[in-house]
Amino acid sequence: MSTKRKRSIFDIISEYFEDLQERTERFREALIEKPSWNHRACTMEPLRNIMVTPTEVIVTVDLPYAEENTIRVKPISRDTIEILAKMKRKIRFDDFGITHYEGEFETLHCQTRVPVPVYMDKMELRFKKGILEIHLPRKHEYEIPIE
Amino acid sequence: MSEEVKITERKEISRGAVMLFGFPDVGLVGVIAASHLISELNLSEVAYMDSRLLPPLIVLHEGLPHSPIRVFGNHDVLLAVSETAVSADTIYPIMHALIDWGRSKDVKKMISMSGIPVQDRQDVKQLKVFAAASNPEILKAVKDKGVQVLKEGYMVGPQAIMMQYCAKTDVPAVTLLAQCFFNYPDPEAAAELLKELSKIAEIKVDVSKLLEKGEEIRLRARDVMRRTQREMSKMKKTQEYDIPMYVS
Repeated sequence: MSTKRKRSIFDIISEYFEDLQERTERFREALIEKPSWNHRACTMEPLRNIMVTPTEVIVTVDLPYAEENTIRVKPISRDTIEILAKMKRKIRFDDFGITHYEGEFETLHCQTRVPVPVYMDKMELRFKKGILEIHLPRKHEYEIPIE
Repeated sequence: MSEEVKITERKEISRGAVMLFGFPDVGLVGVIAASHLISELNLSEVAYMDSRLLPPLIVLHEGLPHSPIRVFGNHDVLLAVSETAVSADTIYPIMHALIDWGRSKDVKKMISMSGIPVQDRQDVKQLKVFAAASNPEILKAVKDKGVQVLKEGYMVGPQAIMMQYCAKTDVPAVTLLAQCFFNYPDPEAAAELLKELSKIAEIKVDVSKLLEKGEEIRLRARDVMRRTQREMSKMKKTQEYDIPMYVS
């Protein structure tokens, strides 16, 4: 006769969280699983990274081929910025040896959500070695006093 | 060789070569360096990996299917390279199989090419390249050639497994790590790594074309970098930033 070990409440909670984590991971992957280019808009999506420090949020964006004087960073909501840059030359799929897609790209474009409140109007930009740095001072909306 | 990973040879493999590894990792330094070596040394495909542990994909070149993990080579060099991010779950059997295969070909040395992330990389004027070795003799040989040694720290990813397995099986091995961006392709770091490689192996290549094509490489490598980022996150790659607790 098989004996089934009774699961403790801790096992059940642990399984629940493991399951939740797996679902979240699958959902996240489904959301980001898309081409890194948009044929209709003639845009390519650059790689980016976000770092939160105690005083500011630093968003960096890798902008190969970007014309420095065409870089535009626009806040499009309280927590989202849009980055656009024209490329020095049009890039075609066949520049990469790809012949089964057609199209050309002339702009790098992406949108990024900023994870904590910031002052969008105090944004500072810096472009060095093809990397755009966007500095956004943090807004500390409330503080919990230590008793 | 492991049952679950098979390496099929396409050509006769020369004995006593130096075996290099270029796998997707921080800054894609290893893959970019490998790609440049293949083109500059005119290396041809000599073997490929076949395994159900690999994702269900092939790489098409000139309309013909290829494994994402292949070995290129000539008489003096064997170069194992992956064109896709290798998942954390499969990295052990994949690296072990490649090292066992290299041992069966009596390779004289194994060298892994990779990167080490540095903060504010865009502000770094001169990138450094560090080395770690599988035994004290080869470490001394590397130092004597003027390559800086990575004395303390963590190493995560394919090169960590290579070092561990080579130390265990007594294969002389070196890992070269060029300072680089964590999650942006870094051709400049790959160029610095290749300069240091010439000091410890008789492999000299001109890196000027690699630097000229830097922007094209960065644009082209975005998708591989994006997928590599996900695997690096699963491997807890950021542990390389950690300060180790000294245990003697």
